[in-house]
Amino acid sequence: MTAEINVVPAGGNLKVKLAKAWQSVGPLVVFLTMFALVAILTPTFLGNGGVTIVASSAASVLLVALGQSLVLNIGSIDLSNASITILGAILLAMTLNSVGAIAPLFILIVVSIFGAINGLIIAFTQVPSFALTLGTFGIFQSAALVVSGATTVYVKENGDAIKALYQSGIGGIPMTFALGVIAALVAWWFLRFTRPGLAMTAIGKNESGAIFSGIKTRWLKVLAFTMSGFLSGLAGLTIIAQAGSASPMGLGSDLLLPGIAAAIVGGTSISGGVTNPLNVVFGALSVALVPIASAAVGVPSQAQSLVYGLVIIVTVALTLSRSSNSIVK
Amino acid sequence: MASTANAKSMNRAATGQPTSVVASFIKRNVEVISISASIFVLAIIFSILNPRFASVENLENILNQAGLPLIIAVGATFVILIGSIDLSVEGVMSAAGMTFVLMTANSRGGTDYGFWAYVVAIGLAAALGFFSGVLFTKVKVPSFIVTLGMWYVGLGVATVLFGTDTMPFLTNDDLSTWASQQNLGMPNNFLLGLIVAILGALFLRFTSFGRVTLAVGNNEEIARGNGLKVNRNKVTVFVIAGAISGIAGIVATIQLGAVNPTIAAGNLFIALPAVVIGGTSLAGGKGSMLGTVLGVILLTTLTNGLTLADVSPNFKTAVSGGILILAIVITAWSQRDRLRISK
Repeated sequence: MTAEINVVPAGGNLKVKLAKAWQSVGPLVVFLTMFALVAILTPTFLGNGGVTIVASSAASVLLVALGQSLVLNIGSIDLSNASITILGAILLAMTLNSVGAIAPLFILIVVSIFGAINGLIIAFTQVPSFALTLGTFGIFQSAALVVSGATTVYVKENGDAIKALYQSGIGGIPMTFALGVIAALVAWWFLRFTRPGLAMTAIGKNESGAIFSGIKTRWLKVLAFTMSGFLSGLAGLTIIAQAGSASPMGLGSDLLLPGIAAAIVGGTSISGGVTNPLNVVFGALSVALVPIASAAVGVPSQAQSLVYGLVIIVTVALTLSRSSNSIVK
Repeated sequence: MASTANAKSMNRAATGQPTSVVASFIKRNVEVISISASIFVLAIIFSILNPRFASVENLENILNQAGLPLIIAVGATFVILIGSIDLSVEGVMSAAGMTFVLMTANSRGGTDYGFWAYVVAIGLAAALGFFSGVLFTKVKVPSFIVTLGMWYVGLGVATVLFGTDTMPFLTNDDLSTWASQQNLGMPNNFLLGLIVAILGALFLRFTSFGRVTLAVGNNEEIARGNGLKVNRNKVTVFVIAGAISGIAGIVATIQLGAVNPTIAAGNLFIALPAVVIGGTSLAGGKGSMLGTVLGVILLTTLTNGLTLADVSPNFKTAVSGGILILAIVITAWSQRDRLRISK
């Protein structure tokens, strides 16, 4: 946003190097440290299918976080993604019962449209993304309550194929997590090797520059939010696979903060232009480890949201690139 | 825009055409007048849909429902006026409410600290606001992310204090009926909201703190260049917002007569849209407490009327969310520009 020229002060090179190092291996180091901590403090964790538990709870966090990373990468934020996940899961449970096997495809189209609506309003009316997605968050949340009648919707028919995603797996890692990793690989390829992907990063780094370079910034914003909607829908699919049901207050209804935390711990910059979907995988795994790790060090389970809140604040504070004379709102 | 308006008034002065007092009054207060008119229109529609809407009991009901959001919205107005946002309201409210109940006479026993329960609860809320403010100004973390984190920190504090025991409720009946009792023809909680709003308006208008707040929101660089203590002002704003959320947390607890960690859920969704439709710009520097008061009354009238018109309460957050979107889109519409950057 600001156009001042940053003069690199003495010793600044080290700082830049540290930042680069953090972005490339930091998330992996954080995850391995937490994993080692848990493995040492609670040795039973590894024997009792702990890895399966972490991987399955990381799956939905990862998918939501990937969408969030794509949106953060263009310098915006999507506060509505977790509510799209729940609404998508509820709609999926209902349509599986009535429409049948075509339902997942249908739902993924619907959630992509939800995301696209976010993007269209943000790009073409130029409202701040946090305010707009806070508004749509309220609408999707209401829609989830209304559609489900504020109760749990169970998958009664045609659910076997989706449930198999969770029940099958390789080496104790459920397919839902593998789905997340595949999505991360695709997102990584998209951002590194395709024209729209590179252009999105350009928007995040310098939007004015991107506009003057003839990049269709508005449509790319719409695309980023559409992808966030799509990935949130995939997260809803993993929730159905795991629980076989969906409810407005049930599994997955509290994915917003973990999703942002996973994106940020995964090295995504909150101010845009920097993200690596492959590292977000480790971010999501770390976030999924938070409840287990905090139990291992003796933090009561009630303090979980406190830990999430602190993780977000501290990680952003540590990794934020800032210059002394810029204006932060 | 401003220059053409100036040119027009100069033209008018030059031709000797008198500026109508009424016209200039309308021009200056266009937001207040349009919100008041909307409230009036809504009231007429809802009275036709359900005659019970216009009854005295229901008007008291509306004021009762407006009390809590009004208190919160005053704090939110201060924060939005400096161009920032406070998403931590609900978390801070639950932390303060939980602290308050556990320190006063409650069903779980424990010592009744009386007056000190209020001090500690509001102090805790102000401290959370202080941390948000310092992280925001000194560490330069954008306010929406600091306060999003602080929301969950507050919720976490409330959940830890709550523990695994039964839900604590107030055992002092005078206290638990306080909110709905009336003074000066108004329920106590609305009266408190009004007092907070009036104090807020006076602070904004007549103290140097208030003027600096407006200046910072209007143009931070110029404010800093003129030697104003911008950072100190911003931290103060967050402390005030925190303290007000603390008061709101106590009021919410008193209204319910008990407390659980999710006591404040949904409050952010009434306060934020209310402030924005009240004419306070999300970009900062422009807005008024009167607008906020009217915004809260408009939203409460709307939700109350919809409930009376047999609309499911499940639609409540959708209505607030829709109004928030409408309000921000309408305000941003005139500033659309291909080269403008909005994040």
